[in-house]
Amino acid sequence: MNVEICNLSLTYPSGKTALREINLSMGSPNLIGLLGPNGAGKSTLMKLLVAGLLPTEGKISVDGKPLIQQERLLKARLGYLPQSFGLFDELTVWQFLDYMAALKGIAGSKEAIAAAIQRTHLEEKQKAKIRTLSGGQRQRVGIAQAILGNPHFLIFDEPTVGLDPEERISFRNLFSQMAQDRLVLLSTHIIEDVQSVCNQLVVIHQGCIRFVGTPAGLIAGAVGHVGVFREKDQRQEAGLHITSRVNTTCGIACRAVAEELPDFVEQVEPTLEDAYLYLISREAIR
Amino acid sequence: MNILRQFRLELARLLQNRLTWLAILLTALAPIAGLTVYRPLYHDNATMQGMYLANPALAGGVLGAVLFAILTVWSMDRLRRDGMETLTHAAVSPMTAALTRLGALLCVSILAQAVATLIWLPYTIFKLGTIFDLESYVLIHLIFMYGAIPLAILFASAAYQITRRGDLSLALFAVFAALSLTVWKQQWQFSWLAPCVFGISDDFSNYRILRSVAYVRLTWLMALAGVWVVSYLCVRRYGKGLIGSLLCNIRRAYRPLLAVILLLSGNLLYVHQPFVDHSAAEFDFAYLFPSEYLETVTCSSRYADVCPDPKTGRVSGRAVFQLQNISGTEQTVQFFIDPGYQILSVQADGVDVPFSVDGYQAMHEKRFDVTIPAGPEMELTIDYGGFPQEWNAVATTQGSLEISDVYMQLENDVLSPSPHNVWYQGDSLPAVMELTLPGHMKPILFGAGSTELLRENGNGTKTWRMTDDGYHMIVYVGDYILEEIPVESAGITVNFYYSRKHQPIMEAINATESIRQTIEYCTEHIGPLSFYGDGTFNLIESRISGGGYAGDGASLANEGDFTIQNLSDGAKGGSSAQVTIHELVHQWWGLGNMFEPAYTESVWSAEGLTCYTTYRIVKELYGEEAAQAAYIDRWQEEVDNYYKDFYVRHPEYLSALPVKYQAGISNSLWEIRKYSEMPLKILKAEKLVGGEDAMDEILKSLFNRELNPEYPYLTYQEFLDACHLSEEDLNLE
Repeated sequence: MNVEICNLSLTYPSGKTALREINLSMGSPNLIGLLGPNGAGKSTLMKLLVAGLLPTEGKISVDGKPLIQQERLLKARLGYLPQSFGLFDELTVWQFLDYMAALKGIAGSKEAIAAAIQRTHLEEKQKAKIRTLSGGQRQRVGIAQAILGNPHFLIFDEPTVGLDPEERISFRNLFSQMAQDRLVLLSTHIIEDVQSVCNQLVVIHQGCIRFVGTPAGLIAGAVGHVGVFREKDQRQEAGLHITSRVNTTCGIACRAVAEELPDFVEQVEPTLEDAYLYLISREAIR
Repeated sequence: MNILRQFRLELARLLQNRLTWLAILLTALAPIAGLTVYRPLYHDNATMQGMYLANPALAGGVLGAVLFAILTVWSMDRLRRDGMETLTHAAVSPMTAALTRLGALLCVSILAQAVATLIWLPYTIFKLGTIFDLESYVLIHLIFMYGAIPLAILFASAAYQITRRGDLSLALFAVFAALSLTVWKQQWQFSWLAPCVFGISDDFSNYRILRSVAYVRLTWLMALAGVWVVSYLCVRRYGKGLIGSLLCNIRRAYRPLLAVILLLSGNLLYVHQPFVDHSAAEFDFAYLFPSEYLETVTCSSRYADVCPDPKTGRVSGRAVFQLQNISGTEQTVQFFIDPGYQILSVQADGVDVPFSVDGYQAMHEKRFDVTIPAGPEMELTIDYGGFPQEWNAVATTQGSLEISDVYMQLENDVLSPSPHNVWYQGDSLPAVMELTLPGHMKPILFGAGSTELLRENGNGTKTWRMTDDGYHMIVYVGDYILEEIPVESAGITVNFYYSRKHQPIMEAINATESIRQTIEYCTEHIGPLSFYGDGTFNLIESRISGGGYAGDGASLANEGDFTIQNLSDGAKGGSSAQVTIHELVHQWWGLGNMFEPAYTESVWSAEGLTCYTTYRIVKELYGEEAAQAAYIDRWQEEVDNYYKDFYVRHPEYLSALPVKYQAGISNSLWEIRKYSEMPLKILKAEKLVGGEDAMDEILKSLFNRELNPEYPYLTYQEFLDACHLSEEDLNLE
């Protein structure tokens, strides 16, 4: 499955521009991480991809055909987990997945539901009413409905929110497995999630794409711009973007990114988080 | 198939919700309100089916509609409020989701109705006893109760799809429902929530009223389905607002086209309803009388071959008139016909003659003009037919006209056209009707005349020949029992016809004795009847229609007077037969040429004396207390209200109103004066002349003087003169 986004812009009737001239090409198999600060336009881009919104300019093509012309076809091949969603509390997990399977037109829904339940570790809760589930379990139900019927294109918007570390690791592995033969788009704030599984990154900031490439590429761009120092005077922070501050017995150990590092800062190897923060802070300075 | 699966699961999902079951349960229990607080058919002579079947069904319809409107808005708003739409709309188009959701809600409403129909069945059987019949039960539940619920769902769903706000949608629904229960209450086609139902018959059929309500339901169903499709076009998509979504959804031409078709269908059904005529709003009494008669055209006889179809309720007929046109030129003869009928052809001696139908209708009459050739003797044949209509002035109390295979009530122009501006050869126009009816039905002619079986047809029907000397003919057809009641002191025999269904009840109340006592009382206190050539008159139990009726040689007894409920209500005293007594008394007051025609605006009419005499009989038969409560107190209350009425105190405001409102208010006030003010005045006169015996003497002398047909109308002044009183003496204010 190939998704092409060409000169995509979205301006709300209020005049606020959410996305500006987005160009992106995504093909399966792939697991693409979508990074960006709050309000950058990640969720808006995802809604455009599921035909929840229409762009004001530009177009999205799926396998070479405009998305709007094959909305129904796309929805049948799509798994989507929105950032915030509601579930039918009165249904059991199984009933809810059966309902979603019907909406998606999945044939052989029993097997598909059983597989989704098994993959999201909901076996023990499949007969439980949704109203009795914890926040993390509800999130798992959300993921289960998205992967129902093995869709060709999976879009996850903050899928690991509310999950404990063990579950997060488990789902990261699941996303990685699923991306072996399909296209998965994963939006998250948790850099660790992206770093572990994504082979491609897209960074959005203020409605524009700032980076498209591999995690290693993003890291490479930050080499020489990340360093550590022990803070003696707060005035030392001027011109630096502090990414961490740790109180130690020897004082405060700071980690910072900057376009140009001062002499008192010792350069270190950047992490993906450093690289992402470097990119965003540089954009902010610009 | 996928949409069916979606619908099935949407339904299952809805049924998983406790609120859905609460709505089902409350809807099933809603008919309780029809037994307690909401009883549109609760009046003195309501029938058992009216009280224990129609009232609960109507109340169930109103409350069920409200409950399902709330459920609809709640279930739709919840999807948006709680964020479920985000998931579902990614999987399926919002348009498809809207359709399956509507289907599921309608299905739940059917379930609620089925539960209600089942749980009320034993109670209704118990209350109605021998009167109960399953077909009526199911139809009344289906049309009166269930008919309102899908309309409410459609409206509430449409309101939500347009506004996307739960509170606003409920407010709109509240306004829409309130309109039906208040402003539109007196407009039968607008009453979408609580249909206008005056009475449901126990003994006879309810064919027309059920059809009429079903028709109104269908009209609204089409209109609201159209509104729903319009709202369907407003289903929000792609994050757009109302207009943006509308522009997106409208691109598929079949959607707006469907909306237009449905709205047009609703409009067509509204405009072309077949049940009620389009008489002018004001009472055009002048329309009933020709401005001038054709001096040279005479009608010597009338014959009609009439075939009512019990399945469709339509009538087809051929009327033949013997006419003489001695003018030497063509003449235009006017006829009246039921407004629902079409004139198919008119021939004079087998040759087509021109005719034209005037679009104007007034006082429940439609006029058509026929140009007849000159000739000393001709046979004018008119072929006609159609679905007879009721007068729009009584549109909210439909029910007197009925054509079914259980019962028929065929009156005057429903049977055949009548000539309007010609002279009759004698004092009246002898009429012969040949009526073809299903084999199991037998006609009863209202008034003097004769009925005989003419032939048995091969198709299971029978043709009856009926003759009458009067201008009009009224025929009742049903499963009647005839009881002959000789009243020796009056020298007459009463042929009392009542429904077979009512036999045990009539025997229980000893109806024959009540009739005998009334006739004996009137004969003794007023004078003997002398209108009947053969010494008999017919008293016929009729379908519930809001009162009785009396004519030459016959009176009607409303079935509502003889219900078990009325008979077992001791507090009512003798009220169970009061209307019957009233109509019997009309044999003394109101026949022949005693009063000016009832359609003049005079307050002095047969009703004043008849109400007064009925009160006197009830007082004698059932005691002073019962008579005081049933008559004097009620008259006084109505008259007090009359004098307090805004338009009575400020008539200048009445004349400022539009004509149609003016006519309605004037008629209502006129009725109060006839039926309540005048009897109170006579009661006051009774006290002033020295009591009941003195008044009896006065009335006796007036009645016997009026027996002479040459004598002019009995006027109010003559009554006052006989009492030696002036108009001011009887002033009640």
